[in-house]
Order: sequence, then C-alpha cells, then structure tokens
Amino acid sequence: MTTLTSHLKERVLLLDGGMGTQILARNPTEEDFGGVRFEGCMELLNERRPDWIRDIHGAYLDAGADAVETNTFGCNEVVLGEFGLAQRVEDLNIQAVHLAKDVARSYDQTKYVIGSVGPGTKLVTLGHITHAALYRSYFAQMKGLLKGGADAILIETSQDLGQIKIAIRAAKNAMAELKLERPLWVQVTVESSGTLLLGTDIASVISTVEMLDVDVLGLNCGTGPDEMHAALAVLAESSTFDLSCLPNAGLPVNVDGKLVYNLGPEAFAEKVAHAAKEFSLNIVGGCCGTTPEYIRALRQKLTNWNVTHRTPILERAATSLYQAVSLRQEPRPLIVGERTNANGSKLFRDLLAKEDYDGLVGIAREQQRESAHMLDVCVAYVGRDEVRDMEEYLKRLVTQTTLPLMIDSTEVPVIERALQMAPGKCVVNSINFEDGEVKARKILDLCRTYGAAVVGLTIDEEGMAKTRERKLEVAQRLFDLVVKEYGFNPSDLIIDPLTFTLGSGDEAFRGSAVETLEAIRAIKERFHGTLTMLGVSNVSFGLKPEARHVLNALMLYHGVQAGLDLAIFNASKVIPVARIPAEQRKAAEDLLFDRRSAGYDPLKVVLEAFGSASAARTSEEVAARLSPTERLHLDILDGEKQRILVDIDEALKDQDPLFLINEVLLRAMKVVGERFGAGEMQLPFVLESAEAMKAAIQRIEPHLPKEASATKGRVILATVKGDVHDIGKNLVEIILSNNGFEVENLGIKQPVEAMLAAHARKPADAIGMSGLLVKSTVIMRENLVQMAERGLNVPVLLGGAALTRDYVESECQAVYPGVVLYAQDAFEGLRHMDAITSGEPLTRPMAAAPGVPAITVLRRGTGAVELTPDGSSPWVHRGLAIPEPPFWGVREAGHSVEELFQFLDHFVVIRNRWSFTQGQLPDEAFESVLHEKAEPLLARWKETLIQEPLLKPRALYGYLPVQAAGNSLKIYDPSRARILDTLHFPRQPEGRRLCIADFFEPESSGRFDVLPLQLVTLGAETAEYTAGLYQANRYADYYYFHGLATELTEAYAELLHARIRRELGIHGKDARELRQLFSQGYQGSRYSFGYPACPDLEGNGPILELLGGGTIGVEISESWQMVPEFTTSALIAWHPQARYFAV
Amino acid sequence: MTETVKVHFLPEDLLVEAPVGTMLPDIADASGADITFGCRSGSCGTCRIRIVRGLECCSAMTAEERDFLAGLDVPVDQRLACQVTVLGDVDIEYLGIDS
Repeated sequence: MTTLTSHLKERVLLLDGGMGTQILARNPTEEDFGGVRFEGCMELLNERRPDWIRDIHGAYLDAGADAVETNTFGCNEVVLGEFGLAQRVEDLNIQAVHLAKDVARSYDQTKYVIGSVGPGTKLVTLGHITHAALYRSYFAQMKGLLKGGADAILIETSQDLGQIKIAIRAAKNAMAELKLERPLWVQVTVESSGTLLLGTDIASVISTVEMLDVDVLGLNCGTGPDEMHAALAVLAESSTFDLSCLPNAGLPVNVDGKLVYNLGPEAFAEKVAHAAKEFSLNIVGGCCGTTPEYIRALRQKLTNWNVTHRTPILERAATSLYQAVSLRQEPRPLIVGERTNANGSKLFRDLLAKEDYDGLVGIAREQQRESAHMLDVCVAYVGRDEVRDMEEYLKRLVTQTTLPLMIDSTEVPVIERALQMAPGKCVVNSINFEDGEVKARKILDLCRTYGAAVVGLTIDEEGMAKTRERKLEVAQRLFDLVVKEYGFNPSDLIIDPLTFTLGSGDEAFRGSAVETLEAIRAIKERFHGTLTMLGVSNVSFGLKPEARHVLNALMLYHGVQAGLDLAIFNASKVIPVARIPAEQRKAAEDLLFDRRSAGYDPLKVVLEAFGSASAARTSEEVAARLSPTERLHLDILDGEKQRILVDIDEALKDQDPLFLINEVLLRAMKVVGERFGAGEMQLPFVLESAEAMKAAIQRIEPHLPKEASATKGRVILATVKGDVHDIGKNLVEIILSNNGFEVENLGIKQPVEAMLAAHARKPADAIGMSGLLVKSTVIMRENLVQMAERGLNVPVLLGGAALTRDYVESECQAVYPGVVLYAQDAFEGLRHMDAITSGEPLTRPMAAAPGVPAITVLRRGTGAVELTPDGSSPWVHRGLAIPEPPFWGVREAGHSVEELFQFLDHFVVIRNRWSFTQGQLPDEAFESVLHEKAEPLLARWKETLIQEPLLKPRALYGYLPVQAAGNSLKIYDPSRARILDTLHFPRQPEGRRLCIADFFEPESSGRFDVLPLQLVTLGAETAEYTAGLYQANRYADYYYFHGLATELTEAYAELLHARIRRELGIHGKDARELRQLFSQGYQGSRYSFGYPACPDLEGNGPILELLGGGTIGVEISESWQMVPEFTTSALIAWHPQARYFAV
Repeated sequence: MTETVKVHFLPEDLLVEAPVGTMLPDIADASGADITFGCRSGSCGTCRIRIVRGLECCSAMTAEERDFLAGLDVPVDQRLACQVTVLGDVDIEYLGIDS
C-alpha cells in the first residue's frame, strides 16, 4: 500500500491544474521542440525543456497541490508515432515521471506524482484503430510510467468506453509484468450534452468500469464545474469507487478572437469546493484553462479536507456503448432478443453466409424496435470462422444498437474477441459443467478481465438437469464457483435452469415445464440476488407456429409468476395472455402443467386445435411476406413512425415518390379514417398513424421533384374570436395536413378579419372555424353574415362541441351564399375537403322539411312554479344551520402533482379525454386496448409528471360572507363591513325555476351565509409544454398530455372541494368510492362559470378579483376565459339541495 | 305515418310525444325537461335518471354507458339520459333532486 492510498482514505487530495495551457503560455518555438517535424509534440518537451516542466509542476505544488500529473497526456505509440517517435514511448514516460518526482521530492510534505494517460487521437469503437494496436500503444506507456515510479496511473479525458477497457487492461497487465501494484484511476469527459463523446451515458460508464476494479472513477475536462453536477450526482449515488472532479475553468467563450474560459479562480474554486461538499469528492483539481492561481484559490476555499463517506447503491446492469440496462426490469422479464442468432434464425444464417453485415445489423435494430432489452448474439455456423464473424459483426453492431449484448458462444476465443469488441458490460452465455470446471473457469477469467456478467446453465458431468432437485444441485455449484470463489456480485450470475420441448410427446419430458418453473422458484428462494433466465421458446419446439406463440406466451407468463428475471424471446411474438382464447389457454396450460386424464391429452388438443388458428399470427410474420409498399400501408395503419422510415427508404429505391404519397400513404390514411368512422379504431391510434404519415412525408420530401405539388388543396383554420380552445382545431389540422392538404392554422381567438386576410393573401379552398363555447356558435354565424356582406362564397366548415348539425345546416347556412358544412370530427372535415377539392358538386344541405313537428309536448303538468316573496324557488328549503368555516378570507393551498393524481378520474381521462371508446370493437378486443395501451400509458404519464416538473399546481381558496337577494349574491368582506361584489345568476324559466342564489340565505333572514370560492391552475409551463409537443409533431403525446392536464385541473378542483367540505364539516355524505364521489357523491355542489347552471363566462372575472388570482399567475382574457389554459375556478354551495341544473 | 312514443318526465309531469327511435336528450331539449346534461358522451354522469316504467323500451346500453354505470355500482333501472334512444313509452324520474 502506498502512502497515496492511505492519504485518500482520510483526506481529499488536491491535484494540479492544466498543463497544456501552461506550456503554451511559454510560447514554445520550433527550436524548443527540436525541429519543425516535432512541432506540437508536448511530450518531447520533457526532454528538451525540462526547466519549463519543472517550473509548471513547482508552481502547482507551491500553490498547495498535493500531487501533480506528469506531462505524458499523449505519450503513447499512437500520438508519438505521428512524429515518428513511437519507439521512444517508454523512455519519454520514464523521463517525465523522473522530472515530476524530482520536483516533488524538494518539498517537506509528501507530494505525489500521477502518471497521466490521455485518450490518444483515435477512437477504437469507431474503428479508427484496431483493438490490438491501441492496446500495444497503451501498454508501452503504462510500462514507462510504472518504471519511472509514478504513484498512480490516471487514465483521463476518456471519451470512449472501448478505449477505457483497453487502457485499464494495458495498465493491469503492465503492473503484472513489472510485479508492482499502483492505484488505477479513471476519469471520463462528459460533454455538455450530458454524455461522453460517443453518446455513452454516465450510468453506462459506472456499470462498465465497476466490473474492472479500479480505485477512482471521476470526471475531467469537457465542461466547467456547474455542468458536471448531473453526472457527479449519478456517480456519487452509484459509483463504488473514490470520486474525482477536475473541471475546466468554466465554458470557453470567444473574446476578441481568443478562446478564454468564463470562470476566474475565485468563482471556479467556490464551485468546485461546493461540489466537493455536495458529492463527497475525494480528489479535486482543474483541467483546461486552470492555472496555479485556480489551485491556490481551491486550497483556500475548500475548508473541510476530511473525507466524507458516501453509501453508493449500484443497480446491477449490462451496458451498451450508449446506456445501462438494469438486469432487473420492472415489470419482469428482461427480454433478450433471440433473432441475432445463427442457430435460431434462418434469415440471420442466410445473411451471415452472404456476409451481408448491414442486413445482420438490421435484424438487431428490428429487435430493438420490438422492445427487446438485450441482444443475444451468436454467429456459430459450421464451416465459418466464428472469431472473424464475431469481430466483423460486432465492429458494426456496437455503434448501431443501444442495447447491451449477450455473447452466445461455446468457444473461448470467440468469447474473448467479442468481449474485446463490445465497449460495454456484456453478459456471457454461457458456462456449464458438462466437461468439468476447466472451461467454465477460463470463461469466468475472461468475464473478470473484460467485465461481464455470466449465464450458467444447469448442466454438469451427468448431463442436463431435468428434475428440480438436479437443477438446484447444479445451481448450487454455479453459485459456489461464480459468487463465492470468483467473488462476482450474485446478480451478475444468471442461472438458466433449461427448458425442454413439450411438443415431442416424449414421456420423459412431459413434466419438464413444471420442473423448470419450480426450479426457478427454488433458485430465487435459495440464492438471494441471483437472477434466472429461460430460453422460453424451446418449450414449444416442433409445434406449429400458432401453437408455439400460445405455449411460449403462457410459459413466459408462468415463468414470471415463478420469479423469472430474463427471457430469451422474440419480442415481436409476445402475445398478451389476455388475448389467448379461453379454450386454447386451457389446452396449453394443461400441457405445461401435464394435466392429463383418461381419454384427455392436452398435447393432442394443442396439435389439433391450433391447426387453423390465425389469431396468434404476429404482425412481424405478416410484414415479412409483404412488399415494401404493402409494408408502408401497414406502417401507417399501425402508426409505426420508426419502421416506416426504413420502408420508405426501401420503397424509394424503385418507386416514384409522388406515387408513394398519393397511392400508398394517402390511401392508407383513408383506411385509417374509415376505420375511425366505423368505430374500429380509437383516436389515439389515429394520431399515431398521423405521426407515421408525417415522418414518412418528411422522409420523402427531399426526393420530390421541385415543381411537384403533393397538395390536394388549401384550407385556413381558426378558433373563433373570444374562444381559446385549441385542441379540436389542431386535430383537424393534423388529419388534413397528413392527408395531403395545405393547412394554414391561424390559432385561437381569431376575428373573422384575420381569416379573410389570410384568404386574401393566398386564397383557400375552404375556411374552417372551430370553437368550444356556446358563445362561439353565435360568433360563427355572425362571421358568416360578415363574409356574406363582403360578397364571399368560399366554402366554410364549422366544428365544435357546442354546435349541432341542425344549427349549422339551417341557421348558419341561411345567412351565407356559399356552402356551410358541419364537421362532427376531423374525418368528416376531411371528407368535406375531399369533396370540395375534387370538384364534386356541393349540394347545399336542405333544412328539415317544415310542418311536421317531430317532438310535441302533450301535457306540461306543473308548469312554472311561483317564486317566493324573496324571489327564489319555493323548491329550495332555506333557514338551515349554516356551517362554520375555519377562517374567513382567502388562502393559498399547496398540493403536489401526486396528490392531484389521487383525485384523477381515470375513466374520464381514458374514455373521454383520450377517446379510447369501444365503438364497434368486441369486448375482448377493447379490454386489451384498455389493458395494454390505455392503462399503461396513463401509468407512464403519471410517473413522468410526478418526476418531471412539467406541472406547477397552485391554488387559492377562501370563505366569504354572503347573502342572497333574488337572483344575486351579495358578497361581503370578512368583517362584513362592506360589499365586495354582487354576482348575478340566471334562473330557470320553467320547472323548478332554480337559480344558484337560491342555495344561500336571503338578506331578509338577517343571517350571513358562507360562500366558499376556489381557483386552481397547473401554471403557464403546462400550456407551454403542450404547445411544444404540438410543434414537434408529437400528435399523440400532445393529445394525451393535453387531455390529462385538463383532467388533472379538474382533479385539483375536486381535491380542493373535498378539503372545503371537510373544513366546513359537511363531508359526512362524501361517497367512499372515488367514482361515486366524482358523480356528485357529496353534499352541495361546485359551480363553474361556463357550465349549465351559470353558462356566462363573465363570472370568472369577479371570482378572480375576489380571490386575487394574480398572486398565483392567473389572469382573465378579454373573452373572460382564464389564462393559463389549465385553470379552473368555482363557487361552492354547501346546501344539501344544491345539485347541477341547467338554465 | 311514423310510429310515436310517449315520454313521461314524472317530476314535472311533462308528457312528450316523439317518433320511435328519437334520442332522449333531443326529446328533453325540445320539451324543456329539467334534466341536466354534462358531457353528453356518457362519461360525466350528470344526466343519470331512473326509468320507472319501460326499461325494456330504452335502447341497449352502449359499452361506454355500461362501463360508466358499472363503476358506480348503481341499480339496473338507472341510465344515462344522454345515451338512451327511446323505442317505446317510458316514465322517467330524475336523480339528484332531493326535495
């Protein structure tokens, strides 16, 4: 143990700052480098200008640094080779260490010398250099640094996981060769994008390096201290190694043509000291742009140099070049894609034979799209060189998949080459004891060297374990070897207890599925933390595809029930168990659990019953047989916005782009519209189709001839004056623009003048007006009057919740000479646009023939009741005991997004806001839409919204004294000294003749009643985020988020109303079931302006005024709607007879 | 001659005649019956009513209505007025009106 190790146990170590900048500040000349061909070779200065290097080291040590880094950043074969100095690597490294050590020794205190190892100039993962050449380059440098006597090796500024793995191995092998051990430190460079240069996230770095057993893992270069926070937080939370942080002096800025860093020594030191405290850093220092002044400032700023301890928790994961994938997926299992396997996929084998590597990579990417979490890679093919094939394949694959790899081979050299080629932490599949332990140990050695988890099969010298007892026995042996002897984390051992086919009818295997399932249960119980895996599809080997899908799905299902963690599986063939018809399920489960009886053999049933079954055919199988244009059709129907790009590229090879748009894509969209109209397809799926359409069109556009116009016509869309409702109009835009129409979307609150101006600027084939409010229907008619006056007759489409077909076709049509068409939904709008632009004669719809009153009142028994002398409905009892509020006046309420979700009406979100309606779907099909699409979607959104600050809920509520006077409420200040406002409400002209004012005590009683008021908002950010989703063409997300936010606003209102009832002590009648509560299952009523009992939005003004809406950022628009969008206000009546009613 | 049905809104003794197959909300709107409608799409429950007589003369429940009411666990004679098409004579009681 060196003293450096013991220093780090107790004290934070202060490292030095930048070296390169210090050298360049001395303006080295050609002469200093020893000739023009060596110009720029910093490492040569160790020999040619040792005085400079000594000065620089000395300045840092004077400034208070505990250690300096050698001037050897590029002192390896690759970099020196560019100057023709490859053979001098070892010698220059030795000189550099000696120089630094000389300086260090001149101090009284112990100062350390750290051997700096930079990344070099070539990225191994991108194929700039071979694995072997890079290893050699590093090995020579490591040897030099160690021979020179460096106190530690620092692999720094690392940008490539592949490079890190090689450098670590080179360092360890050099130490082994020289028989000395030195601490090994690794630092990566996180770019301002938040990942390493090649896109690796920090979690992937941690899990990859963790297996390789180093001493320090930290960050240097790339950004300043502020930008490092996110990555430091992840490191502090999960890295088990000491943590270092050497930022640049901020971010580079251009000042008068010179690059300078934006943090001065004080600011830099302040931030690094802060990070040291926050993240319990063990090593601090500086990188580019930092000087001895920075190190001096840091020495002074950091007050506590004692090491503080972290308790990191690292979730076991496998990693790719890009990301870490947890080995424990929630929900289980982790799906290992099985098709990148020459034994499992004929297509893969054929492509391998042709050496079509792009095709092979395509199979991998397809599985990634089909939601595999990891790829099982096997290139074993008789007669071919497996090592070479693995190398050639992984060379291309590792940069093109985000998934970690499971290296599937029985050959040790193949496994080793694969582990060299794969930049991340792989899983090796597999070891067993068929021929004893020798081979298993060789493979485990490789796993340790290159950092990989391992799969162990329950096979030993006696063969494959078939009973649960034997499986457990071999599992014990695997556990003892891998975990106890080799010291692997238990979760880096994945035990596969083997699956055998039930399809052969072989008596010996009839009970094998049960044995396997029970073995999983036992393994999970006995070996805590150890994971399990099955090659699920083996269970059905030899059966027909239809039967296989069902049997596999059920084996997977029961495996997961038993505790299965990973499943090798074809992700595209996962059939939801709920979709398996009951009789098929029974037969398959009877087969799995070997439930035979006299005259009944489930295998027979399975063999017969599935012969003609087509339900289980997967879309992937169908797609494989189709032509590119047929696939495009399917892509649109399925909303495959990723796959469609591949198919577009394919189709463009021999198809005319205009043909693709008009004859393939638009036709498919037409089918989407038809299915929607027939109630077979829900709106969210339509939006996903539209997203796929958008993606496809964008892909095709560059290929269109310049003069070509793919536009079928032009339409101007607007939400009318005074109405802020966006979504209906936007849905129309989505559908029209993705069905070949040019849409000019003017936005909300548009006066008719704006629509006409747009039309004058560029004439449209139609103008579409939208609006949600009842008032908007009147505005639409007024707009038509104005348009008629100006002599226009361009067709007009009207749509909106408050409109009726009858109103449009009679009253609106009556005032306008052009055609006025009602569009109940976006697709009816599309049909109208198609008719308008195709030149079909537009017959003006006729109003219903007059004269035959369809609906007749035969008797109106009670008629209108007489009002009381107070001018209120006699139906309402007055003079009840008035509840006492806990306070008078207004207060702000504080609630989290999570609390809002507790009051969310899931039914309304899914069925109404998200339009998942059953339509013409059979019950079972709709059930699976709900269970597999809608409900998981809501769960995901919930998680996102609770974690990410997209919603900023705020609310005000209060209690004010009130008295009724006829149709009005006089609202007093808390002291009852003066009237704050008087609100007027409409009264039913007939029937009970109700008015909201009736539910409060009248002035004549001399008593003051209590008026609860409330105002809730999700904040302006919510509306901005919604708009952003729309701008980004994320139609479905836009629709989901908008709908969910709207309903969460309601949920907040419901929550606050419940609190008010509680505070008033009238919550005794609250329904226990939420669904009932949402259906007015409580005493009293909550009235909002714009709804049937008080339809006039103007009431929002006084409510905001009374509550002081501005304090939570709520304003009122000129049309009396509240801004931001996701806001709602209400007044509350506690009176037991107060319910919803319409005036 | 179209066949007609009679709808009797009991709380206000309002008797209305309409063609067979007319939607109940249309009948309520046209006659000014004191039923409160909310979303009119079967997901808010504001227009819950009780069919006192003639349950068999109401159109079968849509899936939406069935699922909505199932969630509330209500007696079988309750319907959502906005979802009902009238096929024969019915008597209707409003819910939520406690006098």
